[in-house]
Amino acid sequence: MLPGTVQPAAPSAASAGPADAAPVIYQSLGPNEAAFVERLVEVMCPADEFTPGGVACGLAVYIDRQLAGAFGRGERLYQRGPWRPGAPADGYQLPLTPERFFKLGLAATDEFCRQQHGRAFAALSSPEADALLQAVASGRAAHPAVALHTWFDELVYPLFEQACFADPIHGGNRDKVFWKMIGYPGLPAVNGLNIVRYRGKPFPGARAPQSMEDFG
Amino acid sequence: MRTLPHCSVVVVGGGLAGGLVARQLARRQISTVVLERGGDRHGGAESRLPTQRDELRWDVRTGLMQDAATETYTFRREATATARPMRRLAAFLPGTGVGGAGSHWGGQVFRWADYNLSLRSRFEQRYGPQAIPEDMPIRDWGVRYDELEPYHDLFEKLFGVSGQAGNLRGVIQPGGNPFEAPRQNPYPQAPLERTEAGQIFQDVVTREFGYRPFPSPAALSSGAYENPDGMRLGACQYCGHCERFICEANAKGTPDLLLYPWLARQPGFTLRTHSHVLAIEHDPASRRARGVRYLDLATGEELFQPADAVVLAAFTLTNTRLLLSGRLGQPYDPATATGAVGRNFCYQANSGIAVFMRDRWINPFLGAGCTGTIIDEFNDDNFDHAGLGFLGGGYIGVNVTGGRPIGARRLPPGTPRWGTAWKRANAEWYAHSFSIGVQGSCYPHRGNYLDLDPDYTDAFGQPLLRMTFDFRVNEEKLSAYCTGQAARIAKAMGATILGPAAPRTAPFDARFYQGTHVTGGTPMGADPATSVVSPRLQHWEVENLFVVGASVFPHNAGHNPTGPVAALALRLGDDLARYTAKPGRLS
Repeated sequence: MLPGTVQPAAPSAASAGPADAAPVIYQSLGPNEAAFVERLVEVMCPADEFTPGGVACGLAVYIDRQLAGAFGRGERLYQRGPWRPGAPADGYQLPLTPERFFKLGLAATDEFCRQQHGRAFAALSSPEADALLQAVASGRAAHPAVALHTWFDELVYPLFEQACFADPIHGGNRDKVFWKMIGYPGLPAVNGLNIVRYRGKPFPGARAPQSMEDFG
Repeated sequence: MRTLPHCSVVVVGGGLAGGLVARQLARRQISTVVLERGGDRHGGAESRLPTQRDELRWDVRTGLMQDAATETYTFRREATATARPMRRLAAFLPGTGVGGAGSHWGGQVFRWADYNLSLRSRFEQRYGPQAIPEDMPIRDWGVRYDELEPYHDLFEKLFGVSGQAGNLRGVIQPGGNPFEAPRQNPYPQAPLERTEAGQIFQDVVTREFGYRPFPSPAALSSGAYENPDGMRLGACQYCGHCERFICEANAKGTPDLLLYPWLARQPGFTLRTHSHVLAIEHDPASRRARGVRYLDLATGEELFQPADAVVLAAFTLTNTRLLLSGRLGQPYDPATATGAVGRNFCYQANSGIAVFMRDRWINPFLGAGCTGTIIDEFNDDNFDHAGLGFLGGGYIGVNVTGGRPIGARRLPPGTPRWGTAWKRANAEWYAHSFSIGVQGSCYPHRGNYLDLDPDYTDAFGQPLLRMTFDFRVNEEKLSAYCTGQAARIAKAMGATILGPAAPRTAPFDARFYQGTHVTGGTPMGADPATSVVSPRLQHWEVENLFVVGASVFPHNAGHNPTGPVAALALRLGDDLARYTAKPGRLS
């Protein structure tokens, strides 16, 4: 691939899971943004002995749905002025919806990436992309307009963790793969006897977690 | 504005305190109207399987709590700083809807050590007057524990509290909290089951230190239960979706299960939901509250509810806000330490340490909001503070509440934040880790207070409340000490790995949940110059106005506030029955 070109997001359906899965239609992310997010979740969740790659786990779909939905539009966020810049411990103080802030940070990270590598983030090799994310997360990656460290810590990383561990009904954690990985049994209705029977012992239900769709 | 038919008592807030006040009035058929800004959530997705079990929606996104887009708070750490709004509520989570935060609480019900009600006297006697810093305006509350004991007892019976008595009529009971205030009766139900982490904690603190651990007293029903009003609870199923969730099994003692359905059947009682109170209307000349002006959210119409007596029983911070916006009482001024409204605002100094034990199956998903095992040896003034340089303390214990996987995973220090090594650490430690927590007291500080923000308004166009708060030297020292005690216990457990002992320190950080136990702002007391309400919770200037909730606490202890809130609310209900029969200053 030539420097500066971006892999379009179109192939995501092919890499997104079982052959019979419906094609992915991103509702917030445009092609370049989707390519960035898919690269990000593949680096943060590589295919390994624990799970398939992040795209196949539905992590990009989760992030896209959150950005397109109520969270991304600023639900439960106080958005009246006056606007005053704050320290990190003051919490979110920007007059941007989370969706806009996500995309602003994404573009800024890509800009930083092009300065470093001459290519978009989506075009980096896995080790390169991992190193770049480390630079962003540690605060070493500086951008004149966007606090990339805050962007990553307070928006991107929580979305990544939620994508992995929320109920699959939200689009991530496909096939409950992360629940199986850690041994979380999901949503049983009754543990009144289990809390005694399995106190200090392996819990059989942890091998076959139940999600909302399994319930009934 | 339309004026509605007159009632004897109007209560602002359909939560726990308001429901308990209303119960005492309804028993005497005194006409009462409760105004609640939210709706009744029983019957919706939040209280039904499987949607009740949605960690993302109800816990991470706090879907049941007050919506910051409608109303939030501004904060700053010093009176000289410029406040910013909490644009996302995270540090504490006010409730809304029928039952208030009590509809989705964790159920911890403590009786504080009885000396808390006379804290200044206690410290002066034990350590001398000079031991209390000048900028720490602790006081005696003006009420004795033996006056509140019957109400603690009644609340425990109404809410079916599960627990092990620690002090029965002055006799210390094995397995209970030896520091609890003496009780006339045992808890109405046996304690909840202990978790594996609780067992480990119990064994170590007993064997290695000689402390006396006890099960957290819980308004979670350990069995099938019927309360004195004939209201029923099922047995807790330890489903792990408790605090921050509405219990679909009817096993959690909540106002929306135990109080409001009973009240709905009583003559003279009215609950109005979707009723957002805008102001307490009062007549400065006669020094009487005329009633409450509110917005009917279902019609958009402003209504006026006249009443003989007004009870403020909203969330802690809302009580203060309505007094300030209604110009009721003298606002506190930190420069001169005069005025009463907004003073003695306290939080809690909570902290913890993560414990990783490779060979123990913690199974954190087997738990409930209050399946804790704790010690009180380092709480409040249960230990000698001579030479320590601080006052107060906290409970130390383990409370494994459900292991919900987005928020309740623990990873050893140094674990990468993503990638295969991150996954491996999650897989290795999720079922084999827990935390020892400290719930630390917070005493008032001259510089910590509440007032109205000059710049920001809510969705109704009214000023937001402004918090000026930070953790002060006393909290930092007590948190360092108590977190150190927790670390000693953790070390004695023979853990594979320990996380860092991280005491609570300044600056206050608005991004992270630190507990919803904010207190003060309308403190009770015997001196009208420094208190908003009398020891009987009667407003000092407007005689027919009463305030109840944690907003009346002059300080916050190292225990959850609901026990004293409930006892004060039930007593106020009885006082109001006297007051409506014979108005005047209650003594």
